[in-house]
Parts: sequence; structure tokens; C-alpha cells
Amino acid sequence: MYVAQSFFHLLVSAIIIDGVIRVWKISDPLTTQRFRFMVILFPIFSFPLYQLVNPQRGSIFFRQEALFDSNRWLHLALWGKVPVGIFFLFILFFTSMIFLAQELVPVLHHALESRRGRIDYVRLRDNSAVVRALACLPGEKPEMLVLDDDENIIFSTTGRKAAVYLSSGLVRTLSAEQMQAAVAHEMAHIERSRRPILFVVFLFRIIMFFNPLVLLEFRRATQDEEKICDDMAVSLTGRPHALAETLRKLYGAAGEDDRITEAARISDLRDSLEKYSHSIHIRSRIERLEESPANEGGGWVTFSLALLTIIVINYFVV
Amino acid sequence: MGKKMTGLFSFGLMVVVLIGALKLLNWIPSAVQDGFVREFKTVDEVNSKLGIRDIYIPSYFPQNFKWPPTAICAQTRPYSAIVMEFRDVDRGGVGLTISQVEAGAPFIAGDRIGLSQIREKVIYPLKGRMASLEVGVGNNDEPCSRISWIEGKYRITVSMRSRPFDLLKIAESMLR
Repeated sequence: MYVAQSFFHLLVSAIIIDGVIRVWKISDPLTTQRFRFMVILFPIFSFPLYQLVNPQRGSIFFRQEALFDSNRWLHLALWGKVPVGIFFLFILFFTSMIFLAQELVPVLHHALESRRGRIDYVRLRDNSAVVRALACLPGEKPEMLVLDDDENIIFSTTGRKAAVYLSSGLVRTLSAEQMQAAVAHEMAHIERSRRPILFVVFLFRIIMFFNPLVLLEFRRATQDEEKICDDMAVSLTGRPHALAETLRKLYGAAGEDDRITEAARISDLRDSLEKYSHSIHIRSRIERLEESPANEGGGWVTFSLALLTIIVINYFVV
Repeated sequence: MGKKMTGLFSFGLMVVVLIGALKLLNWIPSAVQDGFVREFKTVDEVNSKLGIRDIYIPSYFPQNFKWPPTAICAQTRPYSAIVMEFRDVDRGGVGLTISQVEAGAPFIAGDRIGLSQIREKVIYPLKGRMASLEVGVGNNDEPCSRISWIEGKYRITVSMRSRPFDLLKIAESMLR
């Protein structure tokens, strides 16, 4: 019952939040991310909370009067024999496997590797071109480390010894302005990691490992995180177009070619879809930086109205 | 201000459409297949529409209750269940409920006669069956009682807003 209801509660919540974002034209990624957290977290607690308020909520009378009774669909027998619930279970199983393969295992693997492995890096000299280019960035700068690699690589590590890793290929590729933009973006990630809300939400998200909609919503929240860091980077550099150019250079022709390539195998199809989804996301970030629209955010009134609507409607979804 | 009002109106419209869509989706399974929970007017209708042959009904009623039931809900999907409610003509409100559910089913009667406090629970021999008899008080501290037993493939539960004497007579009148 928990599984079915949390699935439908999340679906209803996602529809309401998408509607709120469209209706009020909310474009501030910080606000949209908060709404997405609401969608991810609410269904974890909704069923037990509702049952606490009204233990008779699953009763035959309540179901008869409910807005939506999941039992009706789950026990609907296709061709008179096969319950729809079997397909629902299959979707949950498939989602659980995707979660394990795409999220949990890579995260654990990465955590183990970073404890075990060594990254060969070189510290930048104080008079290096990179250090000079970053001199005008305000605030405390993290340690800058260079990897010997011709590929364009940049990433950051967070925690007590936060650092930004750049590849030598990237140092040769980017101009001073673009270097500033790229590093400012990583500095934003480091700053954001000091209040690790996304990580906490990820821990809660693990509880709903079976729910495909959580997969989608968490991905959208992660994309919002990138846009939040883009905004923070622009506030440090004052140059949104430099960051847009940097994204173009880093991700090649991303966004200009959004065809899904022919896939010979299912794993190729998965990779192709993954690249397609990634390129759409990069393109939206580039467009956003180039158009520089004013961030419209919903206030706490909108947030509260959305939450109240979600609570009330989902109470009648059993 | 105009923009906020437009936004509120659009949001309200969206909620109305969502509620309509949920109700429509809720209706579809019962339109294409019988057996999902719904209200019925008579026990005969339950028998004819759902094909539930063995429906246990009492032949004895205290003066403040009358046949037929004031409400009947029944289903055969995902399991067989019938719930009948009877109005207490003296005190008003639901005073007696009888539920008949497939034994072992995860059924919540949600009957409006809840025992908020069980003072005594005993095994009661009911015409050869071992029934569970609970006596206590309801939400308004009025005496309530409930008896439950297995009959064939069903679990039958009779709940009443009174002491157990009439409850036991009703339960016994349901059995041969």
C-alpha cells in the first residue's frame, strides 16, 4: 500500500508543481529546486502521516469516496486475466535496477576510489597564467590542481580540503575569461556543498529507490543545481557569455546535434539517450546564460499554496 | 497585482482540471470491469451484479433497527467484501454494521462504530464457532461491542453501538 500510494502521491505532486512553475512562470533555479525537493520528500512521509491522522483512510467507505483509488487500476485485469499491477511491479523492479546501476553503485564506487586511489596532480605556481587569470575572482579561492591530461577536464572536490582539478588540456583550451567562468562555477559547487541539502535529499531519495518519478525529479533537481551554480559563477565574474562559451568548448557540439544516434544494443541505446538528455540540459544552460532573463521566483505564499494543495488532494488519493 | 490574480485563477483552473482527471481515471476501471467497490441499493443487487452467493444476513433486529440496510458497499476485486450499515432510528446515526470479507484479506472496515477503548476481549462460542467478542466504549464514551468469526471462506464482523446482548442475538440469527 505504501509503495502504490507513494507512487501516485508523487505523480500528483509532480503535476501540481509543474503546473505551479508554468502558471507563475518561475524561472529561478533555486526556487524550482525547492519545489522539486517538495515533490521528492513529501511522498516519503505522506502515507504514514495520513494514516496517523485517519487510520480508516484505507477503508472500503473511504476508497469508495476517494478521488482516486489505486486498487482499481492495480487490480484491473487485462484480457480478463492479467492484473495491471503486474506491469506496475515490473516498472518498480526496472526502476530499482536503474537506481542501483546508475546511481548507488557509481556513488559507492566513486567514494571507494577517492579513498583508495591517488590522483596525480601538480599544484599551480603562483605566477602561472591560470592563477593570474583567477586573481580578480572575489573571495577565498580553493586549491587549484592540474592533471596531466589532454582532454578538457574540470571538477571539484568538496569537504575540508576543497580543491578544483583542471586538466592541462583545459588550461591550453580556455581563455582567461573562460577559465575564470569555469573555476567560478566549481567554486559555486564547493560553496553549495557546505550546506549539503542535495546530499540529504539524495539520502531520502534512496528510500524511494523503486519510484521512477523520483528518478526523474531528482535528475531535474540536479540540473537545477547546475543552473544555481551557473548563476553564482556569473555573480562572481559578471560575464554570463564567458560561461556559455566555456560550456560550448567543454561539451563540444552539445546542443547543436540532438539526434538520438542509432543504437545497436540496448546499452548503446541507453548511452545514446543519456547523451541526448545531457545535451538538452547543456543547451538549456547555454541559452539561459546567453539570454540572461531575470530570474522569476515564487515566494513563500506560492510555496505554501502548492504544498497545501498537494497535501489536500493527495489525502484523497488512496 | 493583475499578474498574481491571473496566476491564481490559472492555478485554480489547473487544480479543477486535475481533480476532474483523477475522478475520470478512477471511474474508468469500474466502467470496463465489474467488481470494484461501489454502493448498492439492495442485497439482491449485490448477489446479481457481483455473483456473491452466500450473503449472511440476520433474521433478528432490535426495535431500533430495521431491514434493509441504509448503506451497502461491496466488491469482488481485489477480494470479496460486503459492508452493510444500519441506522439507529432512536439515536440517529449508524448503530449497527455487518461486514463479510474474504478471510485473510487486508480489509479495513472503517465502520463508523469504532471501539476507541476495548475493556474486555474474550473467545465466545457462537453456535459451534469460536468467535472473538470485544466489549468497550466508542468515541463518545457510549458502550460499543464487536463480534467476529470465520464462516466458510469469509470473516464476518458485527459491530454495534450498544452492550453485547443484542449483538449476540443478531450474530446468532445469522447462523443456522
